[in-house]
Amino acid sequence: MEMAYKKKQMQKIFIYAVLVLCAIVVIYPFFYMVMNSFKTGPEIQHNPTALPQGLSFAGYTGMFDTLNVPLLFFNTTLVAGILTLLNTFISAMVAYGIVKTDVPGKKILFRIILASMMIPGILLTIPTYMMMYSWDWINTYRVLIFPGSVSAYNIFLVIQFMKQVDDAYLEAARIDGAGEWDIFCKIVLPMCKPVLATVFILAFMGAWNDLFGPLLYIRDKSLWTLQLGLYRFNTSTPGTYLEQIYAAMTFITIPVVIVFLFLQKNFIKAFTGIGLK
Amino acid sequence: MKHRKLSQRQKWGIFFISPWVIFFLVFQIYPFLLAFKNSFLDINILQPEKARFVGFWNWIQAAADPLFWKSMFNICYNQAIYIVLSFIIGLTFALLLKEVLSKGGIFRTIYFLPVITSITVAMIVFKYISSPTGPIQALMLQWGMIKEPVFWASTKWLPMPVIAVFNSWKWFGVYMLIFLGGLVSINQQLYEAADIDGAGWLNKFFRITIPLLKPQIVFVLTMNIINGLQMFTEVLMTFDLYGGRYNSALTPVLYMYAKAFDKMEMGDASALGLLLGLIIYTLTMVQMKLLNRGTEEV
Repeated sequence: MEMAYKKKQMQKIFIYAVLVLCAIVVIYPFFYMVMNSFKTGPEIQHNPTALPQGLSFAGYTGMFDTLNVPLLFFNTTLVAGILTLLNTFISAMVAYGIVKTDVPGKKILFRIILASMMIPGILLTIPTYMMMYSWDWINTYRVLIFPGSVSAYNIFLVIQFMKQVDDAYLEAARIDGAGEWDIFCKIVLPMCKPVLATVFILAFMGAWNDLFGPLLYIRDKSLWTLQLGLYRFNTSTPGTYLEQIYAAMTFITIPVVIVFLFLQKNFIKAFTGIGLK
Repeated sequence: MKHRKLSQRQKWGIFFISPWVIFFLVFQIYPFLLAFKNSFLDINILQPEKARFVGFWNWIQAAADPLFWKSMFNICYNQAIYIVLSFIIGLTFALLLKEVLSKGGIFRTIYFLPVITSITVAMIVFKYISSPTGPIQALMLQWGMIKEPVFWASTKWLPMPVIAVFNSWKWFGVYMLIFLGGLVSINQQLYEAADIDGAGWLNKFFRITIPLLKPQIVFVLTMNIINGLQMFTEVLMTFDLYGGRYNSALTPVLYMYAKAFDKMEMGDASALGLLLGLIIYTLTMVQMKLLNRGTEEV
């Protein structure tokens, strides 16, 4: 017994050692980014891997001169915020329609929603662009919001969760004379909070990090998002203002990391339940 | 024909699903039909009224375009490495984390950081880290793995494997979580029974773990084909619109983007997009058939 216990302990220590080592490898690029954001330009160029010799905030202050950071931040927050709220609310609505109402053909609808996840998005890029062009939606906020306002995967996640909500609550409310809309808003939505948090963060992350959308649809500088600003900045001046690029990257990454740390548990759930029926 | 009146609850149901129906028709079905139509036209976005019907010309051109096949080759080359790497890393970490389940939270968080970072940011950092003056090559030089600094981005064969390594770093957290979810749901008694029968580690892995992880494996591989073949931002960040020197980093989506917005040939680009969509769809179906062989439909 003693031997077996010792062996188990050794095994545990070994596993932790591997996990810690790999955590260092995984986190190193972030460390590199943050570290360089506090250096001066020449220092980055000559000594990219060394620790900073002193804290320099030149990157952070300079970044505000090069890019209109408050505006980019505002644009990104506005677009990502509205898109996320819409996406979350619509996912809940559609899931409610499929799971809790007598919508005709609900089985077929569910199948189509599932199948639509398989459509490669890229297939639709060019025609969607032409559509947006002819609607005169190029260079608007709405072109960044509406095409991402519904996602089949998020609807699917909420459906799976809503199936577990007991119909008895709904029936009781119906007997009390509550309308479907009230039941949805006041009873089902609060009960679905965990999965809605999951959907929220998935949608937010996608919107905040998206480069392809803004790159396609936004020419007007006053509508740039953070990602597009960073991309344009990085390609327009390769190799110069390095400290500003590192500062901007750190600045862009922080909000997502904060949201992730707060909603971590729900985020992880978005991936762990896959394959379980 | 019998007219059935819809009940109140059916009407509400229609109301609740209407956002999705509208979205599906406007942003999925309509663009799909439009892509199909455009693929038979010679059309410039600035003068759509001058569009000309050219029959299968765009399709023939796309299918006979050496650059398109070069891009298909590149992405397959990339995915072959990426799928193996991310699969092995993801599964290994899921197995390790399962052993330290309750105390593994901090590792899960750390391993997931690359996933939530934007590709734009991650790719810029990665470019500097892997550059000839960056820390990775410095370390490799020190360990004698390479003789001199490598300008990998302008070589013929290196861009795709290097990006595959980058993507494995970026996405293994997702695979890890999916596999972990599957591992936790496997009945522990199966392993205990196998222990009593004296089964070794390898035996347990291939006879219990892998077969019971099948739903997760199928999901991961399917999503991989759909997403992986559509790689775009990673290559756009590092190379020009045509995948750099030798077109060694040209992916199909990048090529489509270049056709549409550099050459302004929307019909050509539509045909390319549809062709790629068709290839992805076929591969997905073949893969699902192969993976689901021998199991009953649920």
